[in-house]
Amino acid sequence: MSTVLLLATAGAVGLTVGFAPPKTDRSTLLAQGIAALVALAAVAIAPSLDLVILIVLALAGLQAVIAGRRSIVARLRAPTVACVLLGAGLAFTRFEGSSRLPELAAVLIATGVAAATGVLPYIHEFDQEEAAAPSTIAWIGFLSPVLVVAVLSRVYTLIPTAGAPLGAILIGLGLVNVIWGSIAAWRTEEGARAWHYSFMADWGLALCGFGMQVADGRSAALLILCGILLGRLPLYTWSRPALAERTQNVRPVNLLAAAMLAGAAPFAGFAARVILLRGATVVYWPLALVLAVGLLLWLPSSLRLGKSLGLPRGRQAIGIAVALIINAAVGFYPQPVLSLAGL
Amino acid sequence: MIEAAAFVAWLGAAVIVLSDGRRGMALGLALVAAGLTGVALGSVGWPALLLLAGGWAAAALRLRSGATQWGLMPPGSTPRLLLAVVAGFLSLWLAVSVSIGPGGPLRFASLAVLVLMGATAVQAEEPAVAATATAALALALGAAAALAPAGNFAPYLVAGAIAGGISLLPAAKQRAA
Repeated sequence: MSTVLLLATAGAVGLTVGFAPPKTDRSTLLAQGIAALVALAAVAIAPSLDLVILIVLALAGLQAVIAGRRSIVARLRAPTVACVLLGAGLAFTRFEGSSRLPELAAVLIATGVAAATGVLPYIHEFDQEEAAAPSTIAWIGFLSPVLVVAVLSRVYTLIPTAGAPLGAILIGLGLVNVIWGSIAAWRTEEGARAWHYSFMADWGLALCGFGMQVADGRSAALLILCGILLGRLPLYTWSRPALAERTQNVRPVNLLAAAMLAGAAPFAGFAARVILLRGATVVYWPLALVLAVGLLLWLPSSLRLGKSLGLPRGRQAIGIAVALIINAAVGFYPQPVLSLAGL
Repeated sequence: MIEAAAFVAWLGAAVIVLSDGRRGMALGLALVAAGLTGVALGSVGWPALLLLAGGWAAAALRLRSGATQWGLMPPGSTPRLLLAVVAGFLSLWLAVSVSIGPGGPLRFASLAVLVLMGATAVQAEEPAVAATATAALALALGAAAALAPAGNFAPYLVAGAIAGGISLLPAAKQRAA
């Protein structure tokens, strides 16, 4: 799974750098992307969770070096909290004694995952004027997919008796983020903030998928994370000039982008949602019902986000076309991606 | 001896919590590094010295930036004092009462430093304070790796490197994006 997400992360770097808006310093963006990719590759191959958590801390330090609008204090705060929660959770998996210790570890690790990603209840401070690389979008949209998979793939073996509580917490957090993120993305006034909330909503679905602990749940989570990396993140970076100018447009390309963001057929999000609902039905059918209602909340926010792309021209138009084609290809035939991840 | 080292680690973390000045934070970092190295040394041997090297380098670098005095217990620091004491007792309870077996000092020291540095990072307003908390946190995460039944020197090396590297951060100027 980590390999697929690393490839998708590399693809996200390629898309955002290759089709970056005019006036973007591509060489700096490429250098930052490659540095992050190297760190994420280290996360993926790290032999222990200790090293994964330390690399998260190192990534926070590296991101704090990038020039940005938020202070170093604000940029370090959330990743530091994530490392404390994950570190304490990992420590509790190694303690002997009370039978409740694995459950306490599960709570700490689930909240640590939320803090590292920047979803509820640990939303990172967001400055809508800030560029993507030093902002919280770098965590929620770029770094977290590989980090979360690296943590969750290791943690279930460390607390085999607390797998069910961990899954339940992830599903609970996921549902809260689905509802909060999709409604906030629809109702908030600022365009950039709407994009930020839409990442949270997508992450909510991914957390539900991971929490189900069935193959369908993991498959759906993988496709949603690929959608974030190869769809939502590049579109967010390309929407920034239009967001700054507050221009909106309703052309076919905007509607197609909105359909992709909403998880409509034939894009990857649709396949992910169908597989997620199938998994939820197997685990506990009322969960599928709640998720199905929650999925409807994507429609108004996605239409808004699609319009916020403005009228893409030149490289950006090509980039949007490439993102649409990739997402449609994965949506039509997701099996190669899932097979590569061993699902 | 190991128990004394665990107490030194908690004391160092408490000094960081209670300090606003560069000297106080540097002293706290040096104590945290010494204490955590002391408790980890018995479990993992020489790799624990990497924590000491990283921590003391971070303490030396800390003297370059931040408010130029000790800044220990400035007015209004009663809540921070309470935090240091309560976190110490809570960690002690979890390390030696809720959990059992050998390694109690290591469990106490790593938990106490983790909790106190997390709280410091949340309440920090100055870059020097946030960077100091992050450096000490890296050391605690490195020391906690000694709780694993088997391992290698990599976590200690990485933790020491992060502690040293993160202490260079406040020197970087904040610029507009």
